[in-house]
Amino acid sequence: MFIINGFKEAIYLLISLDAELYHVIILSLMVSLTAAALSSIMAVPIGILMGVKEFPLKKVAVRFIYTMMSVPPVIAGLIVFLLISRRGPLGILGLVYTPTAMIIAQTVLIFPIITGLVYNATKEKGETIQNLGKTLGANRRQRLILLVKELRMNILTAIITGYGRGISEVGAVMLVGGNIRGQTRTMTTTIAMLQSMGEYSIAIALGIILLLISFILNSILLYYQQGDYR
Amino acid sequence: MKIKVSGLTKVYNNKQVLNIPKLEIEKGSLLGIIGPNGAGKSTLVKIIGGIETSTSGLVLFDGKPINSNLYQNMTMVFQKPYLLRGSVFYNIAYPLRIRKVEEEEISRRVEKILDEMDLVEIRNQKSWTLSGGEAQKVALARAIIFNPSLLILDEPTANIDPSSIAIMEKIIKKSNQENGTTVIIVTHNLQQANRICKDVGFMYRGELIEIGSKEKVIRNPENVLTRDFIKGEILI
Ligand SMILES: Nc1ncnc2c1ncn2[C@@H]1O[C@H](COP(=O)(O)OP(=O)(O)OP(=O)(O)O)[C@@H](O)[C@H]1O
Ligand SMILES: [Mg+2]
Repeated sequence: MFIINGFKEAIYLLISLDAELYHVIILSLMVSLTAAALSSIMAVPIGILMGVKEFPLKKVAVRFIYTMMSVPPVIAGLIVFLLISRRGPLGILGLVYTPTAMIIAQTVLIFPIITGLVYNATKEKGETIQNLGKTLGANRRQRLILLVKELRMNILTAIITGYGRGISEVGAVMLVGGNIRGQTRTMTTTIAMLQSMGEYSIAIALGIILLLISFILNSILLYYQQGDYR
Repeated sequence: MKIKVSGLTKVYNNKQVLNIPKLEIEKGSLLGIIGPNGAGKSTLVKIIGGIETSTSGLVLFDGKPINSNLYQNMTMVFQKPYLLRGSVFYNIAYPLRIRKVEEEEISRRVEKILDEMDLVEIRNQKSWTLSGGEAQKVALARAIIFNPSLLILDEPTANIDPSSIAIMEKIIKKSNQENGTTVIIVTHNLQQANRICKDVGFMYRGELIEIGSKEKVIRNPENVLTRDFIKGEILI
């Protein structure tokens, strides 16, 4: 049967370290990792600040982040594409159909997710933690450290959720990356393409890898949920 | 430390929930605050503890308004305390760590209080696995570990078994007697107020109706509202 054959071939490709397959896997991992890292650097502090500070137009900012959290990937991809396309405002940078373009698109996608999740957690527990810090004599800096430490699980969950969203989405990277063989082909775009061509073995192999990744991410979360300080 | 409250009010959504023209708490006092639900007890102690703002009025600590130095010397324990994500030891050690006390000294002091409060067995247990009563004991230990000059307790022994209450009351009394800590304790337990407090204040609808020695306020209240409130409780 074709499914079983596809599966067998998939395993074979994986253990024979097929070069093209692994290029796709590594590119996907790197693009999403970079996007998640870039997003986190901005989103974690912003989410925390939004959670503890009052400022003008805060409600609007929150609404905006929430809306952006559920933006369809193709739309994020389209916006980034229009900006960086040859005739777009950032066209001279020549970013279309490069891994950099995919990183930008995923960052646009992931940033609001991490910001929103960190903001929610901070809004929920921030005041309690800040007040506790105060009553125990922590100064401003120590209270901020305390807040981050107490929210570390939420922050980690937010980052992993963002990464997971990045690595599993197709639309945005397809639009701005173009699914060019050997250059901008990621796991998801490859699966989408191969499926339409009726070639299942590589698609199955990539599917296995994607499942494995989400298993590993979940295991990391679970592991840290049990860890803490003495 | 000595606390002086003047002209204190708190308004929530156009509703005045606190109105205390004058209240003085001497250094080394052990003051109980009693009164029905919604009387404003928690609001008062939160404002004194500096984690709630007043609508108007002034709170002075040894003559000075709240500042970051004072925060280092006072603390509060709530009925539902927030424990940090970590072990019991980690929680109790936290106030000492932020004060840069040496690890050896921290160990010594934490072990001592764990022993005094009968918490040795749960020393390494994660905070989120503790029972409600255990969590309250840990919160009290964490508050007392740094010898604050002012200790504010808001119903610290609600839902606690009698033997644990005895342990907690003993340590509260001890810190008042040995370190001269000023203690304010909000309680719904008149027996408890009677057992540990020197003075008692009765609050009703945001006002401090009567305050004085516990002999007077609990046994022989002047105000009819206080009398009715105390009559409603079973007091031997
Ligand atoms: N954040 C708030 N917003 C609006 N009203 C509030 C708020 N906090 C307290 N109140 C109101 O202020 C009044 C006093 O509340 P407080 O918690 O001080 O009472 P309490 O004496 O501690 O009561 P209890 O014995 O039930 O703990 C109550 O009527 C309460 O509903
Ligand atoms: Mg209360």
